[in-house]
Amino acid sequence: MNTVVLLKRVPDLVEDLEVDSSGTALDSEHLKLTLNEFDDHALEQALLLKEGGGGEVTAVALDSEDVDKMLFTALAKGADRALKITGTGAVNGTSELAEVFAQALGSVNYDLVLTGVQASDDIDGQLAPTVAAKLSVPCIEVITGVEAGDGSVTVHKEYAGGVLAEFEMTLPGVLGIQAAAQSPRYAPVSKVRQIQDSATLDEVAGAGGDNGKFSIVVMTPPETGEGAQMLESVEELIAVLDSKGVI
Amino acid sequence: MSQDVLVVAEHGQGKFDDITFEMLGAGKALAAQTGGACVVALIGGSDLASQLGAADKVVTVDGEGLENFNPESHSAALAAIVESTSPRVVMIGYTSMGMDLASALSVKADMALAASCLEVQAGDTVTAVSQLYGGKLNVKTDLGAGPCVVSMLAGSSPADAGKGDGAPATETVAAPATDGKVRFVRLIEPEAGDVDITAQDILVAIGRGIGTKDDIEVAEELAEELDAAIAASRPIVDSGWLPKNRQVGKSGVKVTPKVYIALGISGAPEHIEGMKGAATIIAINTDKNAPIFNVAHYGMVEDLFDVCEELTEELQDR
Amino acid sequence: MLGPTERIAFLLLVIVCGGLATHGFLRIARIVRLGKAAERTDGLAGRLINALIDVGLQRTIAKARPLVSLAHGFVFFGFSFYILVNVNDLIEAYVDGWTTIGAGTLAGVFNLLSDLFSVLILIGMLSLLVRRFVAKPKTLEFNSNVLLQAKAAGGGVRRDSLIVGVFILIHVGARWLGTAFHLAHNGHGDPWLPTASVVAQGFAGMSPDTLELAMHICWWLAMGLIMVFLPYFPRSKHLHLMIAPLNLALHKSTPHGELDDVIDASAPGAKTLTDLPWPSLLDSYSCIMCNRCQEVCPAHESGTPLSPAALEINKRYWLNANSSSLLAGGESPMLLDFATSSEAVWSCTTCYACVEICPVGNAPMFDLVEMRRSIVFEGNAPDDLAEVLRSLDEKGNSFGQSARRRAKWTRGLDFKIPDARKQPVEYLWFVGDFASYDPQCQEISRTVARILHAAGVDFGILYEGERSAGNDVRRTGEEGLFEALTEQNVETLAACEFERIFTTDPHTFNALKNEYGDGVTVPVEHYTTLLLRLVESEEIQLGDGSRGKATYHDPCFLGRYNGGFDAPRALIEACGTELVEMPRNREQSFCCGAGGGRIWMKDQDGITERPSDNRIREAMSLGAIDYFVVSCPKDLTMYRDAVKSTGNDGKIEVRDIVEFVADAMGLNDEPGDGAEAIPRAGDEAEAGAAPANG
Ligand SMILES: Cc1cc2nc3c(=O)[nH]c(=O)nc-3n(C[C@H](O)[C@H](O)[C@H](O)COP(=O)(O)OP(=O)(O)OC[C@H]3O[C@@H](n4cnc5c(N)ncnc54)[C@H](O)[C@@H]3O)c2cc1C
Ligand code: SF4
Ligand code: SF4
Repeated sequence: MNTVVLLKRVPDLVEDLEVDSSGTALDSEHLKLTLNEFDDHALEQALLLKEGGGGEVTAVALDSEDVDKMLFTALAKGADRALKITGTGAVNGTSELAEVFAQALGSVNYDLVLTGVQASDDIDGQLAPTVAAKLSVPCIEVITGVEAGDGSVTVHKEYAGGVLAEFEMTLPGVLGIQAAAQSPRYAPVSKVRQIQDSATLDEVAGAGGDNGKFSIVVMTPPETGEGAQMLESVEELIAVLDSKGVI
Repeated sequence: MSQDVLVVAEHGQGKFDDITFEMLGAGKALAAQTGGACVVALIGGSDLASQLGAADKVVTVDGEGLENFNPESHSAALAAIVESTSPRVVMIGYTSMGMDLASALSVKADMALAASCLEVQAGDTVTAVSQLYGGKLNVKTDLGAGPCVVSMLAGSSPADAGKGDGAPATETVAAPATDGKVRFVRLIEPEAGDVDITAQDILVAIGRGIGTKDDIEVAEELAEELDAAIAASRPIVDSGWLPKNRQVGKSGVKVTPKVYIALGISGAPEHIEGMKGAATIIAINTDKNAPIFNVAHYGMVEDLFDVCEELTEELQDR
Repeated sequence: MLGPTERIAFLLLVIVCGGLATHGFLRIARIVRLGKAAERTDGLAGRLINALIDVGLQRTIAKARPLVSLAHGFVFFGFSFYILVNVNDLIEAYVDGWTTIGAGTLAGVFNLLSDLFSVLILIGMLSLLVRRFVAKPKTLEFNSNVLLQAKAAGGGVRRDSLIVGVFILIHVGARWLGTAFHLAHNGHGDPWLPTASVVAQGFAGMSPDTLELAMHICWWLAMGLIMVFLPYFPRSKHLHLMIAPLNLALHKSTPHGELDDVIDASAPGAKTLTDLPWPSLLDSYSCIMCNRCQEVCPAHESGTPLSPAALEINKRYWLNANSSSLLAGGESPMLLDFATSSEAVWSCTTCYACVEICPVGNAPMFDLVEMRRSIVFEGNAPDDLAEVLRSLDEKGNSFGQSARRRAKWTRGLDFKIPDARKQPVEYLWFVGDFASYDPQCQEISRTVARILHAAGVDFGILYEGERSAGNDVRRTGEEGLFEALTEQNVETLAACEFERIFTTDPHTFNALKNEYGDGVTVPVEHYTTLLLRLVESEEIQLGDGSRGKATYHDPCFLGRYNGGFDAPRALIEACGTELVEMPRNREQSFCCGAGGGRIWMKDQDGITERPSDNRIREAMSLGAIDYFVVSCPKDLTMYRDAVKSTGNDGKIEVRDIVEFVADAMGLNDEPGDGAEAIPRAGDEAEAGAAPANG
């Protein structure tokens, strides 16, 4: 089974996110990108599938800051091929990103596409179902377990409260990974450096076309008071619990 | 395109999830802005329609393969409903099921989409506020005149507004055929026995302020009322009062429940590391300067026992 | 003395047993050569001389267990002399009429010494046997979760000890009795042989023939037994008497704090036994299985499955059983299958205590680091560690925080610390992760800054240019990340102008001092050294007044690793604090449990007591102590927590040395208070009471 993993770099939330003067975009000067954590799980799940039943793993990402290191890291972890999509510039939202990925996948031989269940900057929806819809293949989101079958996969989708639903999906198809069967492995820097010297990244020119159907009006930090809002009585506490929908 | 708002109901095991009523409430408010009706899309489980009294209309699709949620057949069914009702705004939960529906619908029906929404407004155009970047930024988007899809965060509006006793008209749309590429196999209930605190929606966490092992009971009673699980800071686990898998923090586990109630926990950085991702943190501590109040959203400077007992009683009475 | 048949028989015995033993020794040499390359033979002559001096003075063994060391001393010095005795006995056997008895003063002195040493050896050996088999000290037992080869677990070490002990008793006892029979045969005692003379009186009634026979039997028991025992030597832990001096001579000669480089970058570290560098293989032959290393190991003490002794013992037992197949080209075994468990590998705090204490110069810790290197390279670092390593790679700090916020702690100061990247400074302060990001430690960092500012020291920091120095990263085995961090730091440092570096953190101190090679060429010192110098040169003026009673915890990477014992103590005392030592101090200081990346990992399941808790109990056992003083940011967090978890909150206060210095300098006095500074602890109470009075 050949698996493609779509990797996306997202703003590192550890940094202070600053909105630029237009008020509609992040200030790129202070922006630091990092691999979407769920995509890291998707990669891990792909590697586990490969280790369990063979096949190739291809990591695909859009050209962006530090993307080479990220792709070499994927190779160091055990991916067989890394594909960098170049020349697209910044893409506007999930929909356009999915379009670019879908086009690039035209040149790749795959059975299964894995990517993270969501990303912190998913303004217009999640990548997995969007790519799937563009490729006209089935998709299931929020996956915590994948088992390879013959021309299909058996997966566990997570609902609230820890209930799982088991599905069987005919391939080719896309899965949005919530968590791999084990935490994403660590690629030692020594190994990444070795791979960097010995392996190469494949490149393909990106083609887009979908500019998204939304526009950003404004980005603002949520209003929060200084520290905790102090409650004076159990009644107030109950009101809070009520508003959070827990009672 | 009509001016209707279509709310996609979510249900499982014979009952609606809260998000359905939350969206129904928000959908009605939105429909008031658009001047259309608030219609509920009910896929499978048409026998539940009677609980949707607050809706103006319920459109159901039912049939074989729709008893249980199935991303493929439910997407197809939703597409059929959308086609027949042609709403201006489709509201879907930003939930496990909703994630399978919203993006697919947006691509297939060529509709704009805003995800992770806290609120939606409609005027000439539809605007939505999405909570993104781990809650660090709210992003307001313009989705154009419509039609469009918004996926709503759980808890973004009160469920009560979506409950009502009306008897809405019901309409049925035929279930479209699918390729059967996704097949539901079974539901797996979480194992009974000890709880995985990382998978809980509500945690009642106790710290050294609890004092003695026997007093943990007080917290347990509260947890029971709240349907919550008990978590703890390290000293509690160290003392052997609770098993290690209940420990939150640097040397324990990281949790991200909807609500985290910290009872008698000072808020050492090692502890905070494990729970700062909780959506709502409520801290109860006798020390008004306890650092836990810096991360908590709500705080109470009170004796935890007083609060626990009173709260448990109040909840029992409800 | 011997008859012709006996002479031939002994010669045959020498040839057969000597041959077997030689074969055994050669095999050991061949096994050791299977290990990976390591540079340990530079200045060989000097190494050997130093080792012989250490052995001769019993230096390495005298570091701990005084009574055992004394008993060992008896046996050791006795046996050293017994070389002469054995030579003499050989001559006596083959040269007719040769005897030292009644042969003048020189022979008399020889006899006196052999007589006394025989008794001392017997006493020493008996005490050691009584200790092991009657007193059965706990230290000779292993935690039940420690991986131990079946034979060793089944009492192999005890049996070996018994065999060796009994051999020594018979060998020396027989020699001693033989002399007594000889005297009885002579018919009179000899003042040069006081104890043998006493015993001889007991044999007075025996016939000359019986006595003659007894002398022969004793000779054979003494000398023949050595030969019979020789082939057993290479298999026994008694081998240490030959290998230990060699092992001590071939010990690592680079600084304690400088780990050896990776040997093969394409497969770093050790996965199998023969992936280890050869000195590690020699270690296993040198090991006397005394468990001293285990006794001082914080990991074993806290109930984890790590025992540095078991690691050496397992290597040895495996080799004893399988050396033939290994030499015949058989597969080298996976270390994690037989030497130690992976959980044990990750329990090591790299505190160096085992290396420091080992009497025969073994370094179990290095094996553990080699194993970590391999485990990490294969992508099997524990999850919690991996997360931190990832953060160190992406953000340059272990806190997962923004690199840009590294100098945020300086915001609480009312002056600006010069940016060493923008202006030349005399002292470059390498602050370190903990001192920069940990909220408790930030307060200490500000205190350091205020002290130096008040003393007019010209210092600066690198602000967000600083990265973790990588000391503990290297000790987790992530060599590539360590290199990456050093490269970044060296690049930043290269663009700055400064004369010296000082650090708050002993870990950072160690890395910069010992592991940055050409990247750091200026002197590196710990802040305690710098502060003491400033006090001594009176650039820092300390006020009078006594500041309670304190005990001081030596951080591993300042003390044991780098010998920084005195400056902190001198500083504490200069601040008017009375210093009381804990039983385990200086070289024997007990690790807090945070080193080697442990602070980034979860507590192991089933630990019995955290090292830091153990240490606080030790401090509390000193009686009334006001302060537990530390000089390492990690320690501050660890011990403040340990004071709480041991239920000693309010009974002892954990303080960094700089807090005393700041107090003694009057930096903490209320502004405008003038000479009559109110003691800090009372501040709040007094302030609270004031309005009510007024
Ligand atoms: C390397 C390392 C790893 C660690 N890992 C973890 C970890 O994973 N998880 C963890 O939790 N800790 C961890 N710690 C320990 C951490 O530093 C703190 O010691 C610990 O979190 C404190 O727990 P606490 O808040 O329950 O206790 P305390 O700090 O003692 O706080 C008790 C609080 O209860 C309040 N209180 C007392 N009585 C009452 C009452 N009647 N009503 C209301 N409030 C009351 C007090 O005001 C106080 O604030 C770690 C420490 C280290 C050094
Ligand atoms: S370095 Fe310290 S923790 Fe590691 S094995 Fe040696 S004594 Fe134990
Ligand atoms: S390694 Fe050294 S200290 Fe440890 S048991 Fe062997 S000889 Fe003793």
